[in-house]
Amino acid sequence: SQPLAGRQAAELQSKVVPSKQILHSDNMEMEPETMETKSVTDYFSKLHMGSLVYSCTSKRKSK
Amino acid sequence: RMEASCLELALEGERLCKAGDCRAGVSFFEAAVQVGTEDLKTLSAIYSQLGNAYFYLHEYAKALEYHHHDLTLARTIGDLLGEAKASGNLGNTLKVLGNFEEAIVCCQRHLDISRELNDKVGEARALYNLGNVYHSKGKNVASAGTHDPGELPDDVKNALQKAANYYEENLSIVTELGDRAAQGRAFGNLGNTHYLLGNFRSAVLAHEQRLLIAKEFGDRSAERRAYSNLGNAYVFLGEFETASEYYKRTLQLARQLKDRAVEAQACYSLGNTYTLLQDYEKAIDYHLKHLVIAQELNDKIGEGRACWSLGNAYTALGNHDQAMHFAERHLEISREVGDRSGELTARLNLSDLQMVLGLSYSTNNSMMAESHVVDNSLNGTRPRVGRRHSMENMELMKLTPEKVHNWN
Repeated sequence: SQPLAGRQAAELQSKVVPSKQILHSDNMEMEPETMETKSVTDYFSKLHMGSLVYSCTSKRKSK
Repeated sequence: RMEASCLELALEGERLCKAGDCRAGVSFFEAAVQVGTEDLKTLSAIYSQLGNAYFYLHEYAKALEYHHHDLTLARTIGDLLGEAKASGNLGNTLKVLGNFEEAIVCCQRHLDISRELNDKVGEARALYNLGNVYHSKGKNVASAGTHDPGELPDDVKNALQKAANYYEENLSIVTELGDRAAQGRAFGNLGNTHYLLGNFRSAVLAHEQRLLIAKEFGDRSAERRAYSNLGNAYVFLGEFETASEYYKRTLQLARQLKDRAVEAQACYSLGNTYTLLQDYEKAIDYHLKHLVIAQELNDKIGEGRACWSLGNAYTALGNHDQAMHFAERHLEISREVGDRSGELTARLNLSDLQMVLGLSYSTNNSMMAESHVVDNSLNGTRPRVGRRHSMENMELMKLTPEKVHNWN
């Protein structure tokens, strides 16, 4: 049989070395989200195509 | 000189956000809101863009607030398409905040309205969002336990299966529409869902499609993501050589894209893969590269992981001095970041190493004494059991049983 120190070393190797287990970090790479977009320019150009007059300059706030 | 109008401020906000400067864009949009307008559709567009800008800035509470304002406004003025969009954005935001049930309701509303309006593009986008919510929900519950991909409780499996179904439904529409970019996104997330479900072959097939589309667009970030995900799937298929090839491509692209954090992750994955291949010299090489970048980025958690991995690899090579050095460093870092289970693991590694090197290893007597205190605190459980428990707490990856014999 093996000498004690050798056996301990072999045992240590099999215990500490992650032969079946490795430290895992969750590094799954996801695709980006898609957000829905609105734009004041879209609306603005649609208004100009029609006959409406744009009235954004009329302000609610009066200090 | 006349004061800037609401519209002028909003237009400047749009321009800045499009140019990628969301922070400056936000100030202009907020100024536009301050000035105010009677035009509720314009106001709705401003709220929506404010919500998206805050979303991209990762300020989700603010994003929630503005998307909620947008939704209320869209409903008030009876703008159905606007309501659908606001619902989708609110859903995405609620998902990030972990409120999955409300996120599902919002994304479902987006889907229902899109179908009502016969808006195919909107329908597909809502399906993708729903897939994402169910994926996050499943992943969130799964990460609360210590499960491996493929070993899941029923509620997790159900959520992930729903995610897969929504991605498939999305894919059939965007394929019909010929929208390749949307197909790429759906394949990527479908692949990740199959990965979590333990369908590793299906995951590989989906990520291969994602890779193909990324190359078509010359989208190197997406290409890098696909390589990394392919590497992960091949690890679980027990094909470590193939996994290492994909991780090397990831590393190459990370370097080209000058993304140090991603480069570190690729080195870490390569270190682990070479450990599985029992090529400890290469494993050490990559773990050292990971360590250097972790230190450079002041990523203490990453540094601790690197030291843990290096300690194990040096032990495997019988280099106990180096193993001891890294185990001590791992202990220091675990203490510094307050990682209790890491600290316990490091102590037990050290006491094992000290046993091999002989109990007369005098400089570390104090550590031995401390480690006995820790052992006693485990209610009399033996150190070995204690260590295994602590390792599980550190997100250990156990490989599926049928693969274990391959490298035992």
